[in-house]
Amino acid sequence: MMILLLIAVSMLTFAAMSFLGDPLFNILGPVAGDTENPENLAKIEAAKEQYYLDKPLPERYARWAGDFVTGDFGVQFSTDGQPPVSGLLKERLPRTLQLMLMAQFLALAIAIPWGVVTASRANGVVDRASTFTSFMFVSLPNFALAVILFYIFALKLDWLPDTYHATDPFWGLTHRHRLVQLVLPAFTLALPGASVYQRLLRTDLITTLQEDFILMARAKGVPKWRVLFRHALRPSMFSVITIFGINAGALIGGALVVEIYFRIPGVGTAIVEAVLREDFPVVLALVMVIATAFVVLNFIVDVFYTFLDPRVRR
Amino acid sequence: MAAADANNEPLLVVEDYEVGFRTERGLARAVDKVSFELDRGETLGIVGESGSGKSVLNRGIMGLVSSNRMIEDGSVLFDGGQMVNRNRQEFWGAKIGMIFQDPMTSLNPVMKIGKQIFEPLRQHLGLDKGEAETRAIELLTQVGIPEPARRIKQYPHELSGGMRQRVMIAIALAAEPEMLIADEPTTALDVTVQKYILDLLRQLQLDRGMAMTLITHDLGVARGRTDNVMVMYGGRVMEHAPTDTIFAEMRHPYTEALLASVPSLKHAKHTRLTPIPGAPPDIVNPPPGCRFSPRCKYAQPKCTEQAPELNEGEHRYACFYPVGTDASAEALEKNMAQGHTATGLKIGLAPAKAAG
Ligand SMILES: Nc1ncnc2c1ncn2[C@@H]1O[C@H](COP(=O)(O)OP(=O)(O)O)[C@@H](O)[C@H]1O
Ligand code: SF4
Ligand SMILES: [Mg+2]
Repeated sequence: MMILLLIAVSMLTFAAMSFLGDPLFNILGPVAGDTENPENLAKIEAAKEQYYLDKPLPERYARWAGDFVTGDFGVQFSTDGQPPVSGLLKERLPRTLQLMLMAQFLALAIAIPWGVVTASRANGVVDRASTFTSFMFVSLPNFALAVILFYIFALKLDWLPDTYHATDPFWGLTHRHRLVQLVLPAFTLALPGASVYQRLLRTDLITTLQEDFILMARAKGVPKWRVLFRHALRPSMFSVITIFGINAGALIGGALVVEIYFRIPGVGTAIVEAVLREDFPVVLALVMVIATAFVVLNFIVDVFYTFLDPRVRR
Repeated sequence: MAAADANNEPLLVVEDYEVGFRTERGLARAVDKVSFELDRGETLGIVGESGSGKSVLNRGIMGLVSSNRMIEDGSVLFDGGQMVNRNRQEFWGAKIGMIFQDPMTSLNPVMKIGKQIFEPLRQHLGLDKGEAETRAIELLTQVGIPEPARRIKQYPHELSGGMRQRVMIAIALAAEPEMLIADEPTTALDVTVQKYILDLLRQLQLDRGMAMTLITHDLGVARGRTDNVMVMYGGRVMEHAPTDTIFAEMRHPYTEALLASVPSLKHAKHTRLTPIPGAPPDIVNPPPGCRFSPRCKYAQPKCTEQAPELNEGEHRYACFYPVGTDASAEALEKNMAQGHTATGLKIGLAPAKAAG
C-alpha cells in the first residue's frame, strides 16, 4: 500500500519533470543548443549518455528507480554534478527535520493544554476567546504570521534572534544557537497546526466528557485535573493523531515559505531553487524524501492508535 | 459524644429536596419536594419508570449532576452535614460510592482494571502502589472475581459484562464508603447474571453495615433485597414503606400498576404483563392534581383538582383512593360502569388502552 503510494508519487513527479523542459539546457547551459560545433556535440552526446537522456522515458524511470533504492540519488544538473544530490540532502534535510520536529512538538505542547482547558469549560469566556484566536491562526497565511511574529518577538521585544546561521552550533540556549534561532520559524509553523489540533481535541474531549466512565471517575473521587488528563485525554486523541500525520504534509508547504522568510537553507529552500532551475534529480529526490517521510510518519500514527486504544490490538 | 448521638440518627435526611433543570420550555422539575430518611445499614429500593427522577435524585444528593442548567433546593443532611448547594467532591468515593447501569461504558476502556481500582485506594486511603495492589486483589476476591491477580492487568473489554459490573462494585467499595448508590446496577446485564450481582450487592451491604440505595425500574428487583421501597413518579414520591408491606399491601395505584407491568426476575415467562397506559408526565407542565391521574384507573374528579399529600408514618403514600380500601373499590366500580376515568382514560373489560 505505502510502497505503491511512493511509486505513484515518483512516477508522477518523474513524468511531470520530463515534460517541463529539456534537461540538456539545465546541464550544459546554452551549449546544449549548439549542435553545429562538433566539440559541443560531443559534450551533448556525453551528457545524454551520462544522464540516459537518449533513452525512452520508461527506461529512464526504471534506471532512476533502480539507483534511487540503492541510495544513489544521482547528480545535480545545475552544479555540474557537484555535490551529488545525496550530498545536498545530507546538508539540507537535518535543518528542515529539526524545524518540523520542533514545530510539531510545539503544536502539540500548545494544543493539548489549550484543548483540555477549553473543553472543560466549553462555551465559557475562555473558550469563546480561544475559538476566535484559533480561527485567526488558521486563516492567517504563513508568511503573514511569519512577518507578525518576527516583528513582535525579534524586532520589537528582541526575545528571539532574527537570523538563522547554518554554521552556528545547534544545542544551546543563546541567540548564537540554532535551537533558539529555530523557535520563531517553528512557532510560525506550529500555531496554525496547534489551532487545528486544539479544535479537534476540544470537540473529541467534549464528547468524551459525556461518557459514563468519566462520571464514574468523578464519582470515585478522582480530582478534576486527573479526570481530564488521565481519563479523558487519551481516548480523545484519535482525531488529533490522524491529522498530526496528515498535517506533516501540509507543514512541508509551510516550511517552504517559512524557510525562505527566515533564510533557513533547508529542504524547502532547496526545492524552490531546484524547481526554478528545473534541476530534475534534485526535485525528484526531494519529493521522494518528503513522500517517504510522510508515509513513514503515517505508519507510526497507525501504530500509535493501538497504544491509544487497547481494543484495537489483536 | 456527638458521634455517639449521630450514630442513632439516620445517615441521610432528605427534606423537600428539589432538583430542576432550566429548559427553553421552562423549569423541568426532575425531583419535586422529595423527603425521606436513610438509616445506617439500610437498603432503600428506589423504584419508578424511566424518567421518574431516580437518577437525578441520587446524583443530586451526591452533587454529581453535571449540568450548569441545574438548580437545587431543600435540605439534604448527610451525617448531619448540609449537602445542598455546596461542592460535595470530598464525599465522592470516600463517603458515598456509586455504581452505574452500564458496566460496558462505565469503566475506562483504555485503562487497566488494576489502575482503575488503585485510584480510589490511593486517593482516599493513601495507600502506596504495593498496598493498593494487595487491597485491589482482596476487593476483587470479595466481589467474586476469579484470578484477580491476572484480572488487574487486563482491560475492561477482556471481561464479560457481569465481571465488569463486579469490578465496578469493587471500585465503588474500595474506600469503604458509608453509603452506596447503585443506579440500575443490573439493567444492562443478562438476566441470568442479574440475580448474582443483586445478591452480591445485598451481601456486601449487609457485611459492611453500609447504607445503600438500589435504584431500579423493576419492583421485583427490590423484593427480598431491600429493607424499604420508595416509589417515584414524575419526580415525586408516590409510596414509601417497608419492602414486605409494599408487596403485601401496596396502597398506591401506581405501585400496583408498576408491579403488573414489569416482568419479575423470578417468573419472567409465566406472568401476563399489563403495561401502564399512557406515558410518564411532562415534568415541565405536569398534569393538574395527582400526577398519575391521566393513567390511573381509579381517578376521580377530585384527583384532577387537588394533589394528594404524602401521609406521615412508616407506610407513606399519596393517594385519595388507596388500593385495598373501600374508597378505591367504589372509585373503580364507578369508572368501570361509565367506561372511563375522570381523566377520560377508557377502561372496561376490554384491555385498557391509552386515551389520547
Ligand atoms: N441534565 C439534564 N438536563 C435536563 N433534564 C434532565 C437532565 N438530566 C435528567 N433530566 C430529566 O430529569 C428527569 C428524570 O431523569 P432521571 O432521573 O434520569 O430518570 P430515571 O433515573 O428515573 O430514569 C427526566 O425527565 C430527564 O429528562
Ligand atoms: S386514585 Fe387519584 S390520587 Fe390516587 S393515584 Fe389515582 S389519580 Fe392519583
Ligand atoms: Mg436512571
